[in-house]
Amino acid sequence: MNNKYKILLVEDEANIRNLVSAMLDSAGYQVLLAGTCATAKVLYGSHRPDLIILDLGLPDRDGRVLLEYVRQEAATPVIVLSARSDERDKVEALDMGANDYITKPFGSAELLARVRSALRSSHQTMSQEYLPGGKFRTGDLLIDYDARRVFRGESEIHLTQTEYNIVAMLSRHCGKVLTYTAIIKEIWGYPDEGSTKKLQVNMANIRKKLGVRPGENHYIVNELGVGYRMCSDDDHS
Amino acid sequence: MKKALTLQKNLLLTVLILMLSFGMSLLMQKVFLIEEHITTLFVFAVFLISLVTDGYTCGVSAAVVSMLLVNYAFTAPFFMLNFTIRENLFSAVVMIIIALLTSTLTTKVRRQEAIKAESEKERMRANLLRAISHDLRTPLTTIFGSSTALLEEGDRLSEEQKVSILRGIREDADWLVRMVENLLSITRIDSGRVQIQKTSTVLEELVDSVLVKFRARCPQQPVLLDLPEELVLIPMDALLIEQVLLNLLDNAVKHAQGMTRLSLKVFTLGDQAIFEVTDNGCGIPTDRLPSIFSGTQAQDERPADSNKRSAGIGLSVCATIIKAHGGHIRAENARDGGAIFRFDLALEEESHEQQV
Repeated sequence: MNNKYKILLVEDEANIRNLVSAMLDSAGYQVLLAGTCATAKVLYGSHRPDLIILDLGLPDRDGRVLLEYVRQEAATPVIVLSARSDERDKVEALDMGANDYITKPFGSAELLARVRSALRSSHQTMSQEYLPGGKFRTGDLLIDYDARRVFRGESEIHLTQTEYNIVAMLSRHCGKVLTYTAIIKEIWGYPDEGSTKKLQVNMANIRKKLGVRPGENHYIVNELGVGYRMCSDDDHS
Repeated sequence: MKKALTLQKNLLLTVLILMLSFGMSLLMQKVFLIEEHITTLFVFAVFLISLVTDGYTCGVSAAVVSMLLVNYAFTAPFFMLNFTIRENLFSAVVMIIIALLTSTLTTKVRRQEAIKAESEKERMRANLLRAISHDLRTPLTTIFGSSTALLEEGDRLSEEQKVSILRGIREDADWLVRMVENLLSITRIDSGRVQIQKTSTVLEELVDSVLVKFRARCPQQPVLLDLPEELVLIPMDALLIEQVLLNLLDNAVKHAQGMTRLSLKVFTLGDQAIFEVTDNGCGIPTDRLPSIFSGTQAQDERPADSNKRSAGIGLSVCATIIKAHGGHIRAENARDGGAIFRFDLALEEESHEQQV
């Protein structure tokens, strides 16, 4: 696999910028560095990076401004760097089109896994989860989009229409965190009073049918207070 | 919404007490033929109302209404208003004064109670901060010293030495991260002073998230799970409760010497969810039990050995979080050895959910 992806790193803390760029560099990515929103815009325009890693708290403008700017013209994957305490910021960034977030502090392995996953989901055809003939595979979970059937290993898992729709939606965005709101909007249209509960009940049923136990959830990661994410094969290795 | 509720409660109490005294007065007048003490009865009613309601309004209006009632029903001419009776006007003034004084007194007492609770909270926070700042110095010293050594003496150190120094840095940084997470949890409670932001959380998802994080920290330590089969929804600040469970599990790993079994059990009892973290380690010395959540004994009894630092801080953060959720946390020793940490949280009310 060609590793020379261009990654734009937007972070105002010089120490973190050095560290992250060293991590990315040693993994064979080409790294562009920006410390402000303005520089980032210029670099984005001239280099068209394959991925953006964005810290939300920038000195000149809020990182969200850049996110909005990028989303107006391209689907370039964006990974947000965030602190644990502001999960509302995370949700907002995800709803604005960010693909994923990493909570500070993070290790090199975690960062690189997220980067690979985001790059792959943006190049769906190149990614190994999407098989020819409208099928998707992660671990021993197989989804047949045309027949609307889901298998775990050899055995078929019988899901209701809604449950299937949720699983299919998560798999189509494999590796990306989908917020509760995003899922509700896609599955039920506009959110109403009971829709969060409906989603929670459906997810509980899906987990039961997939036979996963808490702490050993191999297919759908639950990001507490934010949303759900279908694991990519990368997470299994 | 809470304001409307207190208003409703105040009004209800006022009307109820007035109706009761009116009934009793009727009884006294018609059945026992006593007339002199009816005003006294109403004075008592006004006093009671001022005592149980908030603010001045209820007491004062009750005084005016009582005066009218006594005038209308119990003084000649009966069942007619007559404002020329002096005694009646006099008792009205007395009642209003009683209402004002009582309300002032109760308000003062209530304010003092609030101040006391506030200072108690303040004291707890100060203890915590003192303990934490004390504890922050050790890992910072290691990190600073180690990185300086690597930068300045790097070429003279063997590969092995470097790795061991780096490992020390990571361990201490990891410890700092946990400490900061605990601190953040406390500031979350403080900034949301009145009430924390509760969202309805699926128990299974909470436990899943906790276990994934715990496994990353202690891959060698299995956790036995016992959860209810059905879907359990609990209104909570999920990040904070996650912190509580992680602290309790960490605490067991750190302090329960000789532990071979660590388990997390959750069950529902009435309208509550009960969480239990149980180990079969050495248990808690009985003299530490009463103050184990206060975060105070950590300083005095801290052993010189740095592995034991932070004892108590995690637990006092747990107590702060559970208290802010309106729950209770307790520690006790199991009969067959080992410690049990137990806390409860209110379950989601079905009816409430339909209203929202």
